[in-house]
Amino acid sequence: MIDITTLPPPDETADALAAVVALRMIADRLERKTVKKAIEKGWTWAQIAEALGITKQAAHKRHAAFLTNKTMMAKPTRNKMADKKQD
Amino acid sequence: MFKRIKLRIRDIGTINALCSGAEKQAHENGEAFPGAEHFLLAAMALPDGTARRAFERVGADPDTLRAAIAKQYSDALNRMGIDLTAMDTEHHIPEPVTSNRMLYDTKPSGQAVMKALYEQRTENKNIPLLGAHVVAVIASMEQGVAARSLLTMGIDQNALGAAAKQTLNAFSRKQT
Repeated sequence: MIDITTLPPPDETADALAAVVALRMIADRLERKTVKKAIEKGWTWAQIAEALGITKQAAHKRHAAFLTNKTMMAKPTRNKMADKKQD
Repeated sequence: MFKRIKLRIRDIGTINALCSGAEKQAHENGEAFPGAEHFLLAAMALPDGTARRAFERVGADPDTLRAAIAKQYSDALNRMGIDLTAMDTEHHIPEPVTSNRMLYDTKPSGQAVMKALYEQRTENKNIPLLGAHVVAVIASMEQGVAARSLLTMGIDQNALGAAAKQTLNAFSRKQT
């Protein structure tokens, strides 16, 4: 867990903003990998969008172009509930 | 007149190489869209070699730029108490991105580079678009990943901007 006291002091604005950019990059990487895995597991765009707290259109626009045809064509193996039970 | 047309045709090829090179650099680093730092990496790979020469003029090794970009990210996180190397490798080692997007897009910093390049090109139309033009544009950026990467390399941005202009002048003299 990140200790809030280790955040850069406000007077180091440039450092704080650089940290935001770095965190956003890590979050973007994690989001892309996780969405790819979710699609492979048979999640729908509606389910992914709901989990991410965005609209289905936004989720599709953000990620569809970065999924390979192989991933897009992956046959859904099981539904979300079955997935959760197995995890 | 004919020379100008030839230069503009050459510029189109350079812009194409810059844009596709920057996108490739971003994708290899697990990023969806290229930013200014990726345009700088792409400029280093241009065959004219002027971007590399500008870096060498200020005593910097152009081959260390990629490592400097990664270091400025980890330094930024370290200041918040986050050690990237201690994270699960799945999160800190980028997975290359593949894209089937039809339209080209960049991060805002990438758009700023292209806009500034266009403005700079209107100043001297007698030489083609070169890697050193990209270096000059990025050396003038005060904030962002590219600026912080140069800082990480210990480069004085004003000196790099001047070195890029000297490289362009030297190229211009050779042409005439």
